[in-house]
Amino acid sequence: MDTAALTAWIREFARLIAANKELLTELDSAIGDGDHGVNMDRGLTAVVSALDAEPPETPSALFKKVGMTLISKVGGASGPLYGTAFLRMAAAAGDSVELGKVLRAGLDGVVARGKAEPGDKTMVDALRPAVEALEGGGSVQEAVRAAEQGRDATIPMVARKGRASYLGERSAGHADPGATSVTLLLKALEA
Amino acid sequence: MTGLVVVCHSRPLARAAVALATEMTRGRPLQVEIAAGLDEDTYGTDAVAIMEAVVAADDGDGVVVLMDLGSAVLSAETALELLDPDVRDRVVLCPGPLVEGLVAAAVAAASGAGRSEVAAEALAGLAGKESHLGVTEQDQITEGTQGGPSAKVRVTDPHGLHARPAARVVGEARSFDARVELRNATTGSGWVPASSLSKVATLGVLQGHEVEVRASGAQAQEAVARVAAVAGSGSGLSTGRALSTGASQDLGSAGENGAGGGPQGRAGAVAGAASPGVAIGPAARLRAVPIDVPDVPSLGVEPERQRLDRALDQTRRELTRISDPIFDAHLLLLDDLDPEARTLIGQAHPAPQAWQQAVAAIAADFDALPDPYLRGRAADVRAVGDQVLRFLVGAPAPTLAGDGVLIAADLTPAEAATLDPTRIAGVLLAAGSPTSHAAILTRTRGIPAVVGAGPQVLDIRDGTLIALDGGSGEIAVAPADAVLDAFRARAAEQRARSQAARSRAIEPAVTTTGVPIAVGANVGSVEEARAAAANGADLAGLVRTEFLFQDRTAAPDVDEQLAVYRAIAAAFDGRRVTLRTLDAGSDKPVPFLPAPPEANPFLGVRGLRLSLAHPTVFAAQLQAIALVAREAPISVMFPMVTTVGELRRARMMLDEALARTGSGRPADLRVGMMVEVPAAALRAADFVPYADFFSVGTNDLTQYTLAAERGNAALMSLSTGLDPSVAQLIDLLCRAAGDRVPVAVCGEVAADEQAVPRLLASGVRQLSVAPALVPLVKQAVRAT
Repeated sequence: MDTAALTAWIREFARLIAANKELLTELDSAIGDGDHGVNMDRGLTAVVSALDAEPPETPSALFKKVGMTLISKVGGASGPLYGTAFLRMAAAAGDSVELGKVLRAGLDGVVARGKAEPGDKTMVDALRPAVEALEGGGSVQEAVRAAEQGRDATIPMVARKGRASYLGERSAGHADPGATSVTLLLKALEA
Repeated sequence: MTGLVVVCHSRPLARAAVALATEMTRGRPLQVEIAAGLDEDTYGTDAVAIMEAVVAADDGDGVVVLMDLGSAVLSAETALELLDPDVRDRVVLCPGPLVEGLVAAAVAAASGAGRSEVAAEALAGLAGKESHLGVTEQDQITEGTQGGPSAKVRVTDPHGLHARPAARVVGEARSFDARVELRNATTGSGWVPASSLSKVATLGVLQGHEVEVRASGAQAQEAVARVAAVAGSGSGLSTGRALSTGASQDLGSAGENGAGGGPQGRAGAVAGAASPGVAIGPAARLRAVPIDVPDVPSLGVEPERQRLDRALDQTRRELTRISDPIFDAHLLLLDDLDPEARTLIGQAHPAPQAWQQAVAAIAADFDALPDPYLRGRAADVRAVGDQVLRFLVGAPAPTLAGDGVLIAADLTPAEAATLDPTRIAGVLLAAGSPTSHAAILTRTRGIPAVVGAGPQVLDIRDGTLIALDGGSGEIAVAPADAVLDAFRARAAEQRARSQAARSRAIEPAVTTTGVPIAVGANVGSVEEARAAAANGADLAGLVRTEFLFQDRTAAPDVDEQLAVYRAIAAAFDGRRVTLRTLDAGSDKPVPFLPAPPEANPFLGVRGLRLSLAHPTVFAAQLQAIALVAREAPISVMFPMVTTVGELRRARMMLDEALARTGSGRPADLRVGMMVEVPAAALRAADFVPYADFFSVGTNDLTQYTLAAERGNAALMSLSTGLDPSVAQLIDLLCRAAGDRVPVAVCGEVAADEQAVPRLLASGVRQLSVAPALVPLVKQAVRAT
């Protein structure tokens, strides 16, 4: 994928986040502090403005801009988590991007930052299967399906990270908002 | 000077916290920056702003960063990544509390402290509040183990960190006030909480692997040292029963190769001689009946969760009765299965189905592991899963498959009571002690038994020939011919001795000095009463009336009890029958007298305490006893009496029952009490006016005097035999009783040939033992 395709991906992600802002807020209200939709939308709106103002010329520059904007503008825990993911993706990206490889770097960044394990009911539960699908030579559609399955698998889980973990067993029964938004990141690739 | 950075979600909050802290520095300068909120009124944290604040606060002496929660921590860590490495090295992210920590840090920084000292001050910022509110260190909640003490250790156990060592690791980890995490450094696994058995087991640690331990919290240092030691050695415990793998392999290989040595004294282990006699036969086990789970829809989340809670409580009670690491592992597995099942119940599954799914899922996790030994642990999950499921659906307990020497982890009293002596040659238990309820029941039924033999006996294959001597505790697995012959010879000799005793069974037992001693029997059913009479018992020294009450959903009514008491009296045919009133409690529960869960069942509402708490049930039993007392020589005996007040209340209720059942008092009725509580033995003189006799329950008296639970295999050396302290209490009792009140002993030591002379010397004039042992005890008396 080249810079133009990647930029289109990020813009589509921003659009999907805006379109699903209410859903994300609703999910986060059930198990967290209810700000995930608003925070992500604020962050990605800022990303789109930054891209409009100065279109990046390399994949690495693109991811770095996205990452820096998110860590500064999102406000909630998803800021440093998504931000770190994109900064690691920037470091892993060459001139042309191999999606599985950069997303693996992003996933490793998220795990390093949030110290989440599979099954902790976090974005890792959706992102990891998608990355593994891509690494295994799977198509984007297969990666999206893997992310969706991972997201749905968070429904019965009891949260062990973040503010949702304070709820203990009450956190079960709802999909994790982070797993839901990261599934949108994958879905944005399909557009 | 050391700079400070305040990171939090709200900008006004950060400003106010800084203002409060500055007040404390009395005008001395302070280098403090704020990185809080996205703007004046949007909550959030910004890693870029934090990075800038750190740079602004740093004058070369470094910076301490204080954060509130959640994204503040993640953003601060992200900010570190954005800093130049030389600045980054001077930054300390401090987990201290934001407001209190900031105040303490400000004071320290203003007085010129370096960054580590400032951070330490901030971390200790809660100390004042804690000591004021009386919070102990154990109540402290710790977050994250990163940066805490850690250690790496190579695992030497040939099986790796499998269920039993893993359970010990988990037990150790939980015993500290610390959050402990483990990872398999060799496979590069992620960190898992050391407090979760299934998580630890899924690390797949094999022999030679390196395990990394880290911890945070008040006792992090000790926890890391201890957990690492246990994980490394697989048996790093200095207390409890060190089950060396070597021993387990010896036994296992003997079983498999048929090359067993002589009858092993089981050196190092604590196998207990529980019921005398030699048994030889193939290993047999209890087989579970398939559990039928009815297809009934969920009654709702709450009722189903409560149903699960009840089944888990029952299972935990059953498991905690057994003191053995393998069951500790089962207990821990329950904790892992519980949340899974609970979640499924939340999705409208009925409790049994939810539980089955949870068990299947976790067992499948184990099944998927590459190591065959760990894969085998799936069986532990399924075993404990079945145990809970049986309680959930009310399915019957497992039944015996095949004849021979029964090998089991432990037996419930119900299981032990239903053993068929014509099919079971002997019993070999991994857990338990000679004074446990199960051991007593095997003795009563004349089935040779060795208990507390350790979990390795569970690995013996079905059908392997077993020889055991329940009198000495010796066991031989697949013995060689010579060994087998030795056991057979011993069996023949014992048969000869018992025949000699039997031939004199109905004669009275008189000591060499001419003192007649009544030798009675302890019985728990009409059938046992008949066996006791046939064995020459001079009386029923103890009738355990519990057997009428257990395993049923309602109390037996007066008529039913009367019929049974009559039948027992008929079996003894004019000889005295001592009816002990219901002796139940949460250690041997009766379903229709719900007892609240007790931390220490043996110290709880049991014996007479329970009867007095349920006067309707008690009155019905006393009425049946009053009725039979008009027909036969009956003694009434109250169990677990602690105070004179209790005995008087019980006697009053008996008097009321006598008044209800006719006029006058039966001439042959005696009323007495068991002496099981040290307090009662010490104050025996106070009880003398209210008791026609005392009967010492040495099992409970020993456990209460030595603070050693009778079923705990690890304490077997304390709980078996006649301890000098207990002998001294019996002396005191006999002195207080004098000639007015006869003293009997109905506990296990009454059948101990070594203890009999000592008891008789104290002044005990009546012994009561298992029916099968009456002839032998009479012989022991005659030899005294």
